[in-house]
Amino acid sequence: MINFSDLGFIFRFLPVFLVAFYLTPVSYRSVTLLIGSLTFYATGDLKGLAVLCIAVIVNYLFGRAHKGEKNKFLLAFIVCLDALMLVEFKLLSQFVDNSFMPIGISFFTFKMISYQADLYMGKIDEEPRFVDAAAYFCMFPQVVSGPIMRFSDYQKKSYFQEKEDIFSAIEDGLRFFVVGLGMKVLLADHLSMLWNDIGTIGYESISTPLAWIGAVTYTLELYYDFWGYSLMAAGIGVMLGFPFIVNFDQPYSSVSVSEFYRRWHASLGSWFRDYIYIPLGGSRVGDMRIVLNLFVVWLITGFWHGVTLNFIIWGLILFVIIVFERFVMLAKMPEIARKVLGRFNVLVLIPLTWVIFAISDLKGLTDYFKRLFPFFGQGISVNGNDYIKNLGIYGGFLAVSIVLLLPGLYKYFEVKRKHPVFTVLLFVLFWVCVYSLSNAAGNPFMYFRF
Amino acid sequence: MKLLKTCPLLMGVVITAIIISILSFALKDTVYSEYVSPEDIDTPILASFFKAAADGVFPWTKTNVDSSDSLAEYVENLGDDQMAEGNQSPDDDLLVNEDISGNGADADDFDVSENDVSGNDISGNSEEVYEFTQVDDDYFTDALFIGDSRTVGLSEYCEELDTRATFYSKISLTIYNAMNTEFIKTENGKITVDQALSENQFSKIYIMLGLNEIGTGTPETFAEAYKAVIDRIRELQPDAIIYIQGIMHVTEKKSSSDKYFNNDNINTRNMALSELADNKTIFYIDMNEAVDDENGNLLAELSFDDVHLKASSYERWHQYLLANAIVKE
Repeated sequence: MINFSDLGFIFRFLPVFLVAFYLTPVSYRSVTLLIGSLTFYATGDLKGLAVLCIAVIVNYLFGRAHKGEKNKFLLAFIVCLDALMLVEFKLLSQFVDNSFMPIGISFFTFKMISYQADLYMGKIDEEPRFVDAAAYFCMFPQVVSGPIMRFSDYQKKSYFQEKEDIFSAIEDGLRFFVVGLGMKVLLADHLSMLWNDIGTIGYESISTPLAWIGAVTYTLELYYDFWGYSLMAAGIGVMLGFPFIVNFDQPYSSVSVSEFYRRWHASLGSWFRDYIYIPLGGSRVGDMRIVLNLFVVWLITGFWHGVTLNFIIWGLILFVIIVFERFVMLAKMPEIARKVLGRFNVLVLIPLTWVIFAISDLKGLTDYFKRLFPFFGQGISVNGNDYIKNLGIYGGFLAVSIVLLLPGLYKYFEVKRKHPVFTVLLFVLFWVCVYSLSNAAGNPFMYFRF
Repeated sequence: MKLLKTCPLLMGVVITAIIISILSFALKDTVYSEYVSPEDIDTPILASFFKAAADGVFPWTKTNVDSSDSLAEYVENLGDDQMAEGNQSPDDDLLVNEDISGNGADADDFDVSENDVSGNDISGNSEEVYEFTQVDDDYFTDALFIGDSRTVGLSEYCEELDTRATFYSKISLTIYNAMNTEFIKTENGKITVDQALSENQFSKIYIMLGLNEIGTGTPETFAEAYKAVIDRIRELQPDAIIYIQGIMHVTEKKSSSDKYFNNDNINTRNMALSELADNKTIFYIDMNEAVDDENGNLLAELSFDDVHLKASSYERWHQYLLANAIVKE
């Protein structure tokens, strides 16, 4: 039930919660949100719930303590404590047992750190009530996989009183939710089947065309899985009266990798900018220092996604590309070369980096790259026609996924989403998703335990 | 009315959901009886409406409890298992299917289809003892392979076999739907294995089926259904050597974590299958010895998804088949 694309969530938890939430008097709605969120979390990870609750209480108490006194030592202490907790669970889950990882810990820890820093820097005016801080850390639309909303955005919430406002908020949120659900269920889940089929064949045995199709497939799967999730999360937020949090803003229309990562998982990117890059000096320091700062940011980004070597390599390759873009491409090249190379980086290099992201064992990874670039060696038992078969099965999903990359399409929906034609389309889309979900057990989000 | 103007999508979704839920609930013991499982409390009841719709069953579809068609009808109900696709969890379907196969009335149908064939004592030299020997690839030029996704994999990744033998294999094929599913492509459209075997003769027929349906029925009902298929093949192909291949194991990881798809279940069913061999014209072979680890689980490094062999691992199966063939005269 802890997936938004779970029938139990859609038809049981969400409606029951919404009714309870809106029957609660405005001043107690944060309490309802907190209780609902803890219930939601408990259905997914009962062990993790203890960790979450302790982290919430400790963070709230420390926040109270250092806010009043502007105590830098206390701030440093609690930030280190949060970071250590995250690192420890990541290591435990990697080297001892996967089940140690509380669901969503990567996300709620980052919220806690931002909360502490914002309190210290005075970005949060009044001292938050416990229930607000706790509801902010735990709120079910975000606790599993983000977006990493700031506390100041939490405060922008407006808990509606008028029936009219309540229903139009739910209606509007539902529209985003359904679009996200469609991306997740109809695109990402089917693309993930192709990616899985490629694994079943074995990376050493795929043809070179299939290897490239696979890279595109995983790239699109990750995009629609996470963008779809983010739209659902933001949509639920809107239903409850929170501002819409933009997590993906047409990243594949970017003209450089640096731009790509301002538009991809934006709430994570801006977190790194505000709480790591800028405190390190940001871009207002010498060139060598900038390179060092970027290195730190991308190393941590890699580690945050996972502790296996492939994530570190993934982060470091992005670091190299971004340094190249900043100091060579953007600084020294003529505009036309900049644009061509920038697009190449986004449309060709980024998918290759996702392959590194996807395959955690190094043997598998080298096998995959040997099939992508076959001049490095031959495959084993390759069936040269494998890509024809798979395009026959999955070609339609790939085609739709690629067409939806056109930035205008989503923008058009955003503007016209209340038009009756969209109402009908979304209605149909919703039930098609339910049909698909009923007939195939869905895959968990790929970002589930990050 | 005003609500409908403020939130048409919400109203549409809510009202439709209520109607479908009421329908699903009202028809749960009739039209949807095969699609509802009391054990599965995690799935909202309206899912049964959509599961049934995927099979072409709608609220107005008549339920025919006492259908006269024997195996064909029975097996069609069982055959929607998607397990072999790898990605989808089979459990939901299985729970549903279990209910059906527990149905005692249907078991009689098997006896009917069994009867017409069991008298077949084809090959005459009854006392001869056959031993498995090594052959070369040309042995397979007049061979047929029937199977599920694993056999599909064999056809795709073992060129020696694919270029010589015939494959009637399909993802998620089960012993229950093997004979009557139209999936073999011909110039005149798709035909069933039954029809194809009526038209083409083979000297050797290899079968590996039984994983998709492992959550349904019991080893006995499974072996019974298997025997019905063997008998039918024997009738259509009187001179062929039939190889019953034991079901390939899954990896330890899968076996230890899955209620249905585990090697204990596979071994029980393989044991039942081995008893169907007469060692004259029907032989039981078990390729697991070529792919197992020391504990009788599929070697982890041979599989990515814990169920299927990787492309490069099919060679082991191929070599096993070469080394375990029956040659008559």
